[in-house]
Amino acid sequence: MTEIPVALIAIFSFPAVVFFSLLFEGIDRKLHARMQNRIGPPIIQPFYDLLKLFSKERIIPATADYGIFTIAPVAAAACSIIGAAIPFISIVSGEPFMGDLIIVLYLLAATSVMVMVGGSSSGNPYGAIGFSRMMTMIIAYEIPLFFSVILTALKSGSALTSYDIALAQIKMGSCMALAYPSMALAAATFLLCIPAAAEAAPFDIPGAKTEIVYGCLIEYTGPYLALLKLAKAALTFSLVFLATTLFFYAPAVLNLSETWLIVGLCLLFSLIIMICVVTFPRTIFARLKIGEALRFYWSIPPVLVTLSVSFYLMGL
Amino acid sequence: MKMVADETKKIKYEYTRLVVPLGPVHPALKEPIRFIVSTRHEEIVDVHVRLGHAYRGIEVLAETRNVIQALYLVERICGICSHAHTTCFVQAVEEIGKIEPSRRAVYLRTLIAELERIHSHMLLLGLMAHEIGFDTLFMYTWRKRELVMDLLEEITGNRVHYGMNMFGGVRSDLTPQLKRKVSNVLDRIDEATRYIHEVFQDKTVEKRLCDVGFLSSDDARELCVVGPTARGSGIDVDFRRDDPYAAYGDLKNDFSVVVRSKGDAFSRVEVRIFELYESTSLIRRILDGLPDGPVSSAEKVLKLVGGLPEGEVISRVEAPRGELIHFVKTDGKGGLKRFKARTPTLANVVSLKPMLVGGEIADIPVVIASIDPCISCADRITIVDLDREETSTVDLVTLRRKKRD
Repeated sequence: MTEIPVALIAIFSFPAVVFFSLLFEGIDRKLHARMQNRIGPPIIQPFYDLLKLFSKERIIPATADYGIFTIAPVAAAACSIIGAAIPFISIVSGEPFMGDLIIVLYLLAATSVMVMVGGSSSGNPYGAIGFSRMMTMIIAYEIPLFFSVILTALKSGSALTSYDIALAQIKMGSCMALAYPSMALAAATFLLCIPAAAEAAPFDIPGAKTEIVYGCLIEYTGPYLALLKLAKAALTFSLVFLATTLFFYAPAVLNLSETWLIVGLCLLFSLIIMICVVTFPRTIFARLKIGEALRFYWSIPPVLVTLSVSFYLMGL
Repeated sequence: MKMVADETKKIKYEYTRLVVPLGPVHPALKEPIRFIVSTRHEEIVDVHVRLGHAYRGIEVLAETRNVIQALYLVERICGICSHAHTTCFVQAVEEIGKIEPSRRAVYLRTLIAELERIHSHMLLLGLMAHEIGFDTLFMYTWRKRELVMDLLEEITGNRVHYGMNMFGGVRSDLTPQLKRKVSNVLDRIDEATRYIHEVFQDKTVEKRLCDVGFLSSDDARELCVVGPTARGSGIDVDFRRDDPYAAYGDLKNDFSVVVRSKGDAFSRVEVRIFELYESTSLIRRILDGLPDGPVSSAEKVLKLVGGLPEGEVISRVEAPRGELIHFVKTDGKGGLKRFKARTPTLANVVSLKPMLVGGEIADIPVVIASIDPCISCADRITIVDLDREETSTVDLVTLRRKKRD
């Protein structure tokens, strides 16, 4: 097999990440509909939505701060797509990025912050409520999420690089989450935080439609809305792909060598994780209130993290 | 609209408060109504309700027509409880004209009224699920609601505006074949109700509905709320039993009035779920005891109402949302001198303020939906608030209660 330069892979990875993000969203919507006894939209509906929104006129409310209002969606989409692309590129190319986990976590948090800032700059009271709810949610889930990733990095030999963690799993011939009890708990923490970060029910509180009319997204239309939708899809994809790489790196178990097989298996596992932590909960639960969500994230994940840390210190 | 501007201005300088305009267009509201909600963080401190966005002038229009034309107009007041409106109107006109409908016709009216209650309650239960972000239950409930809608279409020919009631009887009969079908569908509805009931007892659902939108029994009595909203607050009132009309007098031992004393959104939902069971059992009794005979009067309707004397009558029925009152005054020439309808939503909408104040923003859609507001019903009524200095245009409804403390 001839070597493809990493730069080329990197260039083609960005459209690939956008494609897979939207495809995952389409599959999520279709499955959600089927479980609700509906026919549901075609799987490529998110692509249609995006194309249509991009062709719409741009409306900026008079009360909005022009600069922030227009830059925030672009920044949000850029952050989430880059955040999703970095682990994807290192898996496809087989090249580690030094310290990419820090960058990815930073970019994913930045995506939420950008959406928040954009929403609050719109001058709409619902945007302001969305801002405060999102702030609360970020405080609730970011810390356990960060802890679980750091613990994994420490366990695999102090590598803050997603590919090194994947390599460590290949060396063990097993997935992180299955090999150690401490990692199983870290994986559980990470998975519990995904619905909140991806704003899926029961944690879709910052963008609750019937309560605050999509919160931060309320004044966004046309291309800006398209970018924000893209940002959300890429954020979800990035989180589930990261979960696969860090905790459930299936190619390690099967000892695969073909790149396309490895990538395919990773995507398949990401899809399964997304269905389990995003699609199922949003089908079977009602939306929580912000106080209840906060109570949930300040009770269960910290306990899991503490247990995980103590197991780690015991060497398990 | 001047009033709203003033209010906003007054509160604008209190920086701890945020005035949230809810409606007239908002995803939580299915019809145009406006709430001006003052909040401190996520807590609601004050609420103003404004009606009048769907004013259609039906009462005035009805007064320019003869009673038969008015009957069809009255049916179109509401897209959910259209049968309740026509039953109420037909009863009033029959009372004035001393027209006696046949027993079979009266039973069929009751049958349609109960089927309508089932579809109205199912609509609301689905809506409640939607408001708390539980779309799966919403989809399920509305799909099962189609069973009733199809049944209504098969019996009367229409899904929504049945056109069933006529002076002196009803316009279509129930064939033995249809009768069998109705009882088959009733079994499926019971099954669906049991399932819906079970899902509504889910933890996340209960968390959103219990202890939300509390309305005490005293407040409910003071504000004269009606229907399931009153019954959810422990007031034992149901005009099917208290003031029987149609065939309810004969059937008063065949159903019980569901009352829950807790007064929160969940008890209002519970009342409606149990009323679904009551309605299906009541329909079974109606099918068993359906008298034989003609369904409409032998005389032509035009002849019946042609000799309509001058007179005035207040008629009331228990619509799915509560007590519905029609005041009908005929002019003795086949037309109407005055027509007025007081719908259950108008009685219930004032109770929203005590329910909402002290709650959270997240509870607003749940609480509003829990009284099952039907704005198209409420918005034909004109209220002039004499306490206000501003004289607002009379054709827009101004419904507002001053803060009581």
